[in-house]
Amino acid sequence: MSDEAEFPPAPQVAGTSLDGTKIFTVSAEENARLCRSVGVAPAADGTAHPVWYYVATQVAMGKTVAGVCETCEFDVEDGPMMGSSGVRFSGPIMVGQPYKVGGEILSLVRKKSRKLGVMDVLTYRLRLHPADGGDAILETDNVWVLPRKELA
Amino acid sequence: MNYAVGDVIAPFTIESVSAEAMKDWAVFLADPNPIHLDVEVVKAKGLGDRVINQGPINVAYMMNMLMAAFPGGTIEAMDSRFLDNVYGGDKAVASGKITAVDGNRIDCEFSLDIEGRGTVNAGTATIRLNA
Repeated sequence: MSDEAEFPPAPQVAGTSLDGTKIFTVSAEENARLCRSVGVAPAADGTAHPVWYYVATQVAMGKTVAGVCETCEFDVEDGPMMGSSGVRFSGPIMVGQPYKVGGEILSLVRKKSRKLGVMDVLTYRLRLHPADGGDAILETDNVWVLPRKELA
Repeated sequence: MNYAVGDVIAPFTIESVSAEAMKDWAVFLADPNPIHLDVEVVKAKGLGDRVINQGPINVAYMMNMLMAAFPGGTIEAMDSRFLDNVYGGDKAVASGKITAVDGNRIDCEFSLDIEGRGTVNAGTATIRLNA
């Protein structure tokens, strides 16, 4: 019998929209504070630290972290874990520039691991666009691991 | 500047991961998960005895290394895997090497290591060198 037959399938959430309605803008003050927090000085050319890719897309996507977990029928209190994060930039994030986020859940796959027991592996994709339209300046794929203690 | 496959990238070091920075990041991320803010919660969950760094902070350390190594360059792509937690007070060192050079594009592999515990993040990146 395969592992998959031992527990119920993961919720069918692929395709769920994560399009946001919030406008996200990195202020010079926030960028300076973030840069200080990770041990560097802010750039002098108006570009924001590139790690804003993660912050901006998470904050301005169409669901909160708890909301994404809820969509996956997972309680955020059970501790989602970051598995990986990838980003492709076609342009820099600029201080003072308003952005909006589009995206979707790509997959939720139930697996069994020796270390974590039964877990769902969530993959979602987010894009950061200028708020006034135009092509995305970046696309990010994030993978979270959702341990399913109740199925262990 | 000339770059070659096998060149080692100068490390970026955080001597002591800051619990205060985690408080800032809870605001940046709009995510007040207490494992980043309250040692007692970390203990209660059996996750250790120090607050846990938010994952994207670790990504930022590795980005800092890449940006310092290629002045004026641009990170075009970056993928990183989270292998273990980073805790408040840890000494974190991002390091890497060049794996390919193709015109003005440079591929790198890198890791983030914690003194005494080993690799906690690892990944790859492509840097575009600007004229």
